[in-house]
Amino acid sequence: MNDFVVNTGLEDFNITINRSNKILVNDNEREVELSKLSDFSYLLKVDDKVYHITSEKNNSNNYSFFIDGFSYDVSVRTLLEDKAHELLKNKAKDNHSAVVKSPMPGLVLKIKKKVGDTVEMGESLILLEAMKMENDIRAASSGEIKEIRVAENSAVEKNEILVVIG
Amino acid sequence: MFKKILIANRAEIAVRIAKACREMGITSAAVYSDADKESLHVRVANEAHHIGPSAASESYLVGEKIIEVAKRIGADAIHPGYGFLSENADFIKKVEDSGITFIGPSSQTVELMGNKTSARTLMKKNNVPIVPGTTEPIKSVEEAEKTALEIGLPVMLKASAGGGGKGMRRVDKIEDLKESLERAQNESLKAFSNDAVYIEKFIENPKHIEVQILGDKHGNYIHLYERECSVQRRHQKVIEEAPSPSLNGELRRKVTEAGVNAAKACDYHNAGTIEFLYDQNENFYFLEMNTRLQVEHPVTEFITGIDLVKEQIKIAYGEKLTIEQKDFTISGHAIECRIYAEDVDGNFAPSIGKIYHHRLPSGPGVRVDRGIDVLSDVSIYYDPMLSKLITWGKNREEALERMLRALGEYQIAGVKTNMHSYQWMLNHPRFLDLSFDINFLEDDFIPLLPGKWKEELPPKYDEVVAILASLLKNKDSKTKPQKITHSITNQWEN
Repeated sequence: MNDFVVNTGLEDFNITINRSNKILVNDNEREVELSKLSDFSYLLKVDDKVYHITSEKNNSNNYSFFIDGFSYDVSVRTLLEDKAHELLKNKAKDNHSAVVKSPMPGLVLKIKKKVGDTVEMGESLILLEAMKMENDIRAASSGEIKEIRVAENSAVEKNEILVVIG
Repeated sequence: MFKKILIANRAEIAVRIAKACREMGITSAAVYSDADKESLHVRVANEAHHIGPSAASESYLVGEKIIEVAKRIGADAIHPGYGFLSENADFIKKVEDSGITFIGPSSQTVELMGNKTSARTLMKKNNVPIVPGTTEPIKSVEEAEKTALEIGLPVMLKASAGGGGKGMRRVDKIEDLKESLERAQNESLKAFSNDAVYIEKFIENPKHIEVQILGDKHGNYIHLYERECSVQRRHQKVIEEAPSPSLNGELRRKVTEAGVNAAKACDYHNAGTIEFLYDQNENFYFLEMNTRLQVEHPVTEFITGIDLVKEQIKIAYGEKLTIEQKDFTISGHAIECRIYAEDVDGNFAPSIGKIYHHRLPSGPGVRVDRGIDVLSDVSIYYDPMLSKLITWGKNREEALERMLRALGEYQIAGVKTNMHSYQWMLNHPRFLDLSFDINFLEDDFIPLLPGKWKEELPPKYDEVVAILASLLKNKDSKTKPQKITHSITNQWEN
């Protein structure tokens, strides 16, 4: 018997898998049948209803699904993983430092702040040119700027750390 | 008729043009950059010619290379599609000088209408109503401030050479004018190699209505009715429909007539679009003319039955229009949704990757114009539009029902898309009761980011996907679904 805690973005579910075709969803019994059509596509039968779902695995706890025009980013954990996750989440709250990363490859046009400046969450830090548009890169948290790792007119890669806020 | 047409574009529009060529028995020659070696537009053409590195500035935007290839392969015409070189008067002039036919208007017309200030001057002279503002580019900050105060704030700054929202800024406060002007000029310089910007009054909550026209080289003009493209984000259209559900017969007559007059005023030949803003007091104002095929042309094709690309080719060859205004009327209603590779909840950051799964919708009244296929790469180099989903119905309700059904059938895996957000838009009361205007998404959708818009939709498949997630996780050790890394997004980027 395996227990899972699942979050769909809007709702939480507790799911118990007893045998492969009989499961409990929040204590309601469901009969399920899963067919894999390809690495990215599944046919799922839940009782009498049938669903064709596109699936992408992001990591062992996160999947993206697409069904009938609706997309879902779903996290799934075993009971044990869920407890560990809660613990880590509470720990993270005590730590204020945050890094601002580049969301896409681009060119740094202008740096609007300097090390030591205090910024509010959402405040504009850097003007980045990408896809021919000028984009404001904003602070992901409030605090003091500890570090600026890029210079004006330099090219940055996706996910490159631009600014460290402490 | 032409023997061979070089298609100076990529993605869905290059595919669309290749289809028209094939139907007409014309050889289609695709061009491609490094990144597009295996792209769909190369797969569907009769010939493919490499033109350079992935960056558009070193391939699709290099007019000399394209003309050189056209000469070398014996193409007798060049179709520019939209974007890239399609409205570049210098390029068109060079094509004309090379003896190859450009499928579009003359370079003089493009120069005249591509420059928004000279277009405004010409329209004013020909009694096509324009938005109050300057008909000359701004020369100084002081002059801009003086004009802004004269016509009243808020005002819009727009690139004279512009289009597509680039180099365009709204100014609400006079003290913001200087910085906005610099930004608009900067963006304009980068996008169009020209920093001229003009100023016009900001029209409150208008709708965007545009008229499709066809003109031949013998002075014959027809209109193919109008499209409404009021659902926009940052001046990029998201949903387009034809006809406009907001107009009655008399208003339709008025705007289509203004469209034909505008085309005549600039001696236009080709397919063209005259864009208008339509305000709350039933006034139309000329916004700009697009001297090319539009992204949203399929909705017009659906309601008129006319193939716009074939008409463009016949007109360029010098044929007279064979269709007269009295030969057709509006048949039913069509809607287009643009499918973008983007992360809606990550501030619309482009999502890049490989398309691993692609199930197309089909059935009555459904059309997909696409630039992707299975195993296509979606790269950072180009516009993130993957495809366009267009549906037709006997009226707006049926077109909408079919759109929702088709969106349900359409599956793409490998990149994030904006498809889910159409469930919110197409079911929204303001979209259904026609009270939407060009600020619809800005006013009602953007404040619900990230994620809150999903809460406004009835929960539908949460339990189903929760079950699937637990089943997949449960047998993770046995079967390993493909892992995909998405472009990570910064939620404060905008």
